[in-house]
Amino acid sequence: MMGPEFRRNLWLELTTRRIVFMVGILALVFFAAAVSGPSYTPYSAAETIYYLIAVIWGARNAGLSIVGEIRDHTWDLQRLSSISASEMIWGKLFGSTIYNWFGGAICLAVMLVYGFTHGTPVSAILDLIYYVIVGLVAQASALLASLIAIRRRSAHSRLDVFLYQFAGIAAALAVFYLWQAADPASAILLGKKSTDVINWWGAVISARPFLLISLALFTAWLLTGCYREMRRELKMRNGPLVWLGFLTFMGIYVAGFDAWLPHNSNLPQWSIVALRLALATTAYGVLTYVMVLLEPKDRVLYRWYGSQIASGAVGPAFWNLQAWLMSYAAMVIVALALIWWLFAQHAGAAYSALTFAGLGFLTRDVSIFVFFAATRRRGDFAAIVTLIALYALIPAILDGLGVKAALPLFYPTPSNPVWLGPAIVWGEAVAAVIAAISRVALAGKRVPSASLRS
Amino acid sequence: MIEVRDLVYEYPTKRALEGVSLSVPAQTIVALVGPNGAGKTTLLRCLAALEPPYSGTVTIDGMDTREHPREIHARLGYLPDFYGLYDELTVRRCLTYAAWSHGLAAGGVDPAVTKAAARVGLLDRLESKAGELSRGLRQRLGIGQAIVHEPKALLLDEPAAGLDPQARRDLSGLLTSLRDAGMTLVVSSHILAELEDYCSEMIIIENGRIVGGRPIKVKDVERPRYLIEIATARADFAQFLKDAGVDVVEVDEHHALITFTRNAAARAKLLRDLVAAGFEVSSFGESSKALEEAYFSQIGRGAA
Repeated sequence: MMGPEFRRNLWLELTTRRIVFMVGILALVFFAAAVSGPSYTPYSAAETIYYLIAVIWGARNAGLSIVGEIRDHTWDLQRLSSISASEMIWGKLFGSTIYNWFGGAICLAVMLVYGFTHGTPVSAILDLIYYVIVGLVAQASALLASLIAIRRRSAHSRLDVFLYQFAGIAAALAVFYLWQAADPASAILLGKKSTDVINWWGAVISARPFLLISLALFTAWLLTGCYREMRRELKMRNGPLVWLGFLTFMGIYVAGFDAWLPHNSNLPQWSIVALRLALATTAYGVLTYVMVLLEPKDRVLYRWYGSQIASGAVGPAFWNLQAWLMSYAAMVIVALALIWWLFAQHAGAAYSALTFAGLGFLTRDVSIFVFFAATRRRGDFAAIVTLIALYALIPAILDGLGVKAALPLFYPTPSNPVWLGPAIVWGEAVAAVIAAISRVALAGKRVPSASLRS
Repeated sequence: MIEVRDLVYEYPTKRALEGVSLSVPAQTIVALVGPNGAGKTTLLRCLAALEPPYSGTVTIDGMDTREHPREIHARLGYLPDFYGLYDELTVRRCLTYAAWSHGLAAGGVDPAVTKAAARVGLLDRLESKAGELSRGLRQRLGIGQAIVHEPKALLLDEPAAGLDPQARRDLSGLLTSLRDAGMTLVVSSHILAELEDYCSEMIIIENGRIVGGRPIKVKDVERPRYLIEIATARADFAQFLKDAGVDVVEVDEHHALITFTRNAAARAKLLRDLVAAGFEVSSFGESSKALEEAYFSQIGRGAA
């Protein structure tokens, strides 16, 4: 627990002067809240300050914990140490934010005392767990965002750090919103009705315990993500099993929310199975897009995949698969299962055709990302602009011109005959795959440059 | 100690190393030299198991960098060209953190810190903050952090850059003492003159390849370098020297840079043989800038 990195952060963060300053300021704030009247209590002051210190400021410190080392040229010293990935994550996540947690702990203590004296102990403890999780999620998300950016060799400017902090705050806001939505006391938030029960895999479960368990599980996955990215930074091999485990978890978790889709109470059982497969397919599709955007489209790695597969060494290639490739494979498998299920249940060809078209669009889109990233520094930006043009601009123009028959070229939409749309899309997808593979392969044929970065 | 075989390294847009092979024996100091952008830093980072090779192998102390990066990290010390220090920490705490982070046992940390500080001449500065040190002293602290765990190999990227003459001389002494203490050092540098003080071999890198395909011996007490000049160009100069059993570093029709025994009688005989063979010897003496001459004669010739 007291690893070298954590202890170093203690030296830097928890000086006597800073401790006295934090205690003094918080004491003044709580005293002011206590004497200022009923509209502003020490509890509300503690809650506000907790969000400021643990969530907003904590996310910044967590986002800076590695980026700051890179900026100060001390990261290589740390990477070349014997500190394990878990010690490093602990030291970065809790060491760099130890001052925030110190102040946050004082706020939590005030809220806990208030909760015990003004409510039930159970409610006070549930709230305590929520506040700890929301702080942890914000900081871990910011740290993970910075680790992903480092892997992409992104810049480490103040703006970048702000973006990592923003990622943390956005994750915390999502937790905050979900928690409020499941609070029977807050009837309406952002126009959505709150609920005290959740229907998941056909079971009716109390919303708050379900949410807390869900948040705890996602926080665990978040920390696992940080740990694995840190392992990668320390040049340790990760392997595909944890990501495959995450995909399995996500597929099962998301598929359980079929009851939230409209009109499902009137649907026959086979449709519910189809809905669950569709939810899992969608989840894997979203993960594929997210990961293909976040992961570096490293053409050196892709060429290495090619050389390994060509030499029959499929095992090493599989062991080094990027997360987006695994997510894509998972989506293909579940989507094909859905198509088979729809056929088996005589559900009509239209749904199968749409699913197949969706798969084709995803294939085309990831190929576009790889195509642009193979030779451009800002390939992701070029890919996103291309996709915006393909999904929004060109269809809008065609629609305006009344050429609706061409719309199946640009997004999944019913066509006549029913398999024409998927056939066109897969034509696009195959062309995009060939273009991406060719570009990656040709980029490897370059003569070594005479002016290389030393 | 360090073995590199057919190392290829690629950045996403460029190939930085192209089939590099080299061998660094234990307890030697090898210099990596070459123009900016030649691939020196990339090679050092591959040796430090910070960058995995695209192909080829790098082994440190018998371990492959791809298979055992963390074990290699524990055996290495590395000072990058742009290194940082924790300016808010004292020298003692900087060294203590380095000792902790290299897994030294609790009882061994304080002695290791004292020993490292003594080696780099910072014993009297242990309570000074790193941010208050001069450039030369910061360099020493950086090296102190890299050696606090007694690594088997030490990689230094441009350690003499920006140092004043006295600090450079101190650095030279420090590196020699570390070698004598059993470490193997690879030093990248632009300052050729100083390399002769402490390096045993020089590897020239250009365009990601080792020029000449092999290291150049820098200094040999028993067999120093001699520069021979002849007044009239002779195409058979190289062949004559080869037949005479001379170890030729560089040769053209006018000059030859050779390593030869310090024995005066042997040198006199060689000179006699040259004159007898009709070579108009205008100069025969120990080379004072041998390394620099060897470097510039190799650079631009293309890699092997």
